[in-house]
Amino acid sequence: MTGVTTAWTAHETTSDALGALAREGATGALSGERGIVYLASGRVVHVESAFTPGLGALLTQSGALAPDGWWEAVDGGGTRHRVGDRLVDSGRLAAGALEVCHLGALFDAAYFVLARDSRAHRFRSGAVHWLGAVRSVPVDSVVRESRRRRDLLERIWPDPALDTVPLTRVPDADPADLPARRGRTLTQVDGVRTAADIAAALGCHTYHTLVELRRLAAAGLVTAAPPPPAPAPPGPGAPPVAWDDPDAALLRRLRDALEAL
Amino acid sequence: MPGIDESLLEAMRLPGARGASLVDWISGLALGAVGEAPGGDPEATAAETAELARHVAESGSLAVGGDGAVPEKEPPVEDLIVTTPDAYHLLRYVSTPFDSTVFLHLWLDRNDGNLALARIRLAELADRLVLG
Repeated sequence: MTGVTTAWTAHETTSDALGALAREGATGALSGERGIVYLASGRVVHVESAFTPGLGALLTQSGALAPDGWWEAVDGGGTRHRVGDRLVDSGRLAAGALEVCHLGALFDAAYFVLARDSRAHRFRSGAVHWLGAVRSVPVDSVVRESRRRRDLLERIWPDPALDTVPLTRVPDADPADLPARRGRTLTQVDGVRTAADIAAALGCHTYHTLVELRRLAAAGLVTAAPPPPAPAPPGPGAPPVAWDDPDAALLRRLRDALEAL
Repeated sequence: MPGIDESLLEAMRLPGARGASLVDWISGLALGAVGEAPGGDPEATAAETAELARHVAESGSLAVGGDGAVPEKEPPVEDLIVTTPDAYHLLRYVSTPFDSTVFLHLWLDRNDGNLALARIRLAELADRLVLG
């Protein structure tokens, strides 16, 4: 299949490029602005985004899996693309639990890769994800689901800016009055964190966090944080400015993925 | 150890079973579906049942409150039963060791189905799905 797949470049959006690759039955990794979609024989097998927690974070942060157990599976199965199998075969995780967690992470990341209809950058033909085969989903199901998710957020509270900017809560907002999950989300809103930061802190899907945040916004409890005051220009002898690197999360995941190879 | 499809197919072996699915109650996603769907569209059914499941899970009156009586990962409701003139809909919340919000939906013919048996079996299926 190497070198055959070029038709995808003619398409304006990642969704359309994926459709073209699906029709060719392509295998490989399509990179977009917000993440990577892995295909096997034209079906989606995995999606990763810097905006959403990966399978390892979801499993270890919740305590479902000890970090040592996760890394043992990655070390032992990563190069053979059998990390998922290894988790199940070693008895660390039930097959159904792996599927539920994997599909949840796949659609969560897909929402960020596809919802904004940006253009795909690159397709690496033949690339296979180290997790290995868990479940595959048709491309059109993933595209349709991402659109449905975008529409659901619009119906709750039509302000897409809330999905990406730092958020703040109104002074008298009380988490105790809310359903448990929404209350937990509200306690993480601190004027600095974005939805992706909050999801990472809670170890839950970013899309699900967006739903709770839009409902909190609809209830008037959460708004976009005002931009921080512009820092005074450093004078001579001022201490060096500490960079708040916005891509730190992405770089961390990149490092983890490289280490897993 | 059963995966999603095996669990749904096992649910379909219950007498009177017409359709079974695994649905996320926040996003409305159907993670899997077998058999028929009421109205013929599994995705639409998933989105609608998810709304019902979410309302009950978030209800101050029907769900267990946030007073620490139930651990964080336990669903605040065990199951829901909707009865129509010709069918039962049984929604069983699934408790997972990681953060998730999924339930099993079994559509059962009212003449051939046995609701008490289905409740017990669906609870067992939900446990085996995530615990092996």
